[in-house]
Amino acid sequence: MLEQTEANDAPLLAIRHLNKSYGLVKAVNDVSLDVKAGEVVGLVGDNGAGKSTFLSLLSGYNRKDSGEFVYKGKSVTITSPRTSRRNLNIEMIYQNLSLAPDLPVWQNVFLGEEPRRFFLFLNKRQMIERTLDVLEQLNSKVQPTEFVGNLSGGEQQLVAIARALLFERDLIIMDEPTAAISVAKIEDVLQLIRDLKKHGKTVILVSHRLEDILSVADRIVVFSLGKIRDILENKNLSIEDLVRVMFQDRNRGEGQA
Amino acid sequence: MTVITATSDLKRIRSKVTQILGQTGSVRRPIAFLIIALVISTLLEPSFLTVRNLEALLVSSSFLMVIAVGEAVVIITGMIDLGVQSILASGGMLVAFLSVFGEFPAAISIPTGLLFGAVVGLVVGLLVTKGRIPSFIVTLGTYWGLRGVALIFNGGNYISPYSVTPVRNFGFEGIAGKMFGVPNLIIIAMVIIAAAQVALTYTPFGVWLKSIGSNEASGRTVGLNTDWIKISAFVISGVLAVLAGIMMTAWQSSVYPTTGAGYSLQAIAGVILGGIPFTGGRGTIVGAALGALVIGLIDDMIVLLGLPALYQYIFVAIILVVAGLQARSKGFVK
Repeated sequence: MLEQTEANDAPLLAIRHLNKSYGLVKAVNDVSLDVKAGEVVGLVGDNGAGKSTFLSLLSGYNRKDSGEFVYKGKSVTITSPRTSRRNLNIEMIYQNLSLAPDLPVWQNVFLGEEPRRFFLFLNKRQMIERTLDVLEQLNSKVQPTEFVGNLSGGEQQLVAIARALLFERDLIIMDEPTAAISVAKIEDVLQLIRDLKKHGKTVILVSHRLEDILSVADRIVVFSLGKIRDILENKNLSIEDLVRVMFQDRNRGEGQA
Repeated sequence: MTVITATSDLKRIRSKVTQILGQTGSVRRPIAFLIIALVISTLLEPSFLTVRNLEALLVSSSFLMVIAVGEAVVIITGMIDLGVQSILASGGMLVAFLSVFGEFPAAISIPTGLLFGAVVGLVVGLLVTKGRIPSFIVTLGTYWGLRGVALIFNGGNYISPYSVTPVRNFGFEGIAGKMFGVPNLIIIAMVIIAAAQVALTYTPFGVWLKSIGSNEASGRTVGLNTDWIKISAFVISGVLAVLAGIMMTAWQSSVYPTTGAGYSLQAIAGVILGGIPFTGGRGTIVGAALGALVIGLIDDMIVLLGLPALYQYIFVAIILVVAGLQARSKGFVK
């Protein structure tokens, strides 16, 4: 199942036998996954398949019951969002983006990691210049001084992504990035994801929109009932293929566990 | 005569107003309020615009401005502190008690008082963040509870240097004095306002405060300790309230358990007048201080015009509604 297409490089992040239960429900059941550097991994699965719990374990919002994270060959512990960011060099982009609408772009992208002058003060010039740099890398005309609340949904997505580039995250997790934006802007966001890949970033993408996943993902991981049902190379796949894999349990009734 | 019927006309007027007065939270708004208030006051009473009266106005408003700075810090995070007037009274009583009855020098009584304010803020902050009780309810608690504490020190009586025989001075009367002809109370207020404004605009802490009011999740997802930021907002508010209490005690040469009564709501009114939306996220300290100054100015005018105090309440109410209109925030109103 786990085809090693590029045998030369070890996985950026290896997830080993991850488990998380809520009472009797095994939300994540013995999940193992290798994520290679520079690839876009799509996560699909019906509601309750375990995608969100899986992401929350990765981003430190929930603690795993058992299992191991191996990042660049080293086993790391994740106990909080802070340790996740530090140990996995991860940037998690939530569906609601978690930006502060009343703050300008430059303050949002640096929030919590502001460069300082004289120990105490914001280095505003540096913050604005670096923000502008990153926005230009993303081919955006958004100005660093604009208030985030005045930006469109797609532009806000871009601001959230800019953070990832700014802090040179290796791994970017995007949860439903196209759910809250207009259909006309979806292609822009997908293009952003392709650009991230071009910048050498690794992206894990969760979406209900299978056509988006098919359009950008290198591999597609299908979750079902807390387990990884299958991992598909995105070559000549159709939505129908994907749906068939997603729901094969249901069609079979109570098949293999 | 043209009648405005089309919404486009309304929109144009509104955008024109926004152009002049700035966006929600802009300091231009309280400046406009202050100018209007100054013009009306001068028209009503030409003697208003004298250096002597303006100095008196700034002195008598300095306490409210200092409290409004702390209140602004709390409201910018989207919370509220109803307890400042009782922190002021109990802190002022504590410092006076230590100085007069305890015979401590000001170098001990004043820091002790400020520490008291910090501890109150810490407890309030812990109850709000770790205890998950809304700030309105917790600070309603300090509002009532510390009123009681203020009554403890001298059996409900005021404290002044004459409370003991032989007479014993506070030791910090100089706070109400002058430096180079400028009242120290005005200098203290200005320094506090300037320092707080610099902190809000030019330090990461200021950005964090605003981020909490704007969208608390923004700070949490990047790993900010939002609980401690909220707690520090209450600590700042508590310390400044006690400072205002010390300033008032020096100014009046006495302190009553009821000193500062009504200041909590006046400070909140000043903050709203200063253009800070109740939901937080935006606004300036200078604006809040100017808002407090307008409230003080109304007080002053009522006295100058010889009107009964009831007009003060009515004017403040009217202005508050106007201020509330301009400080409206987008989205739902709670």
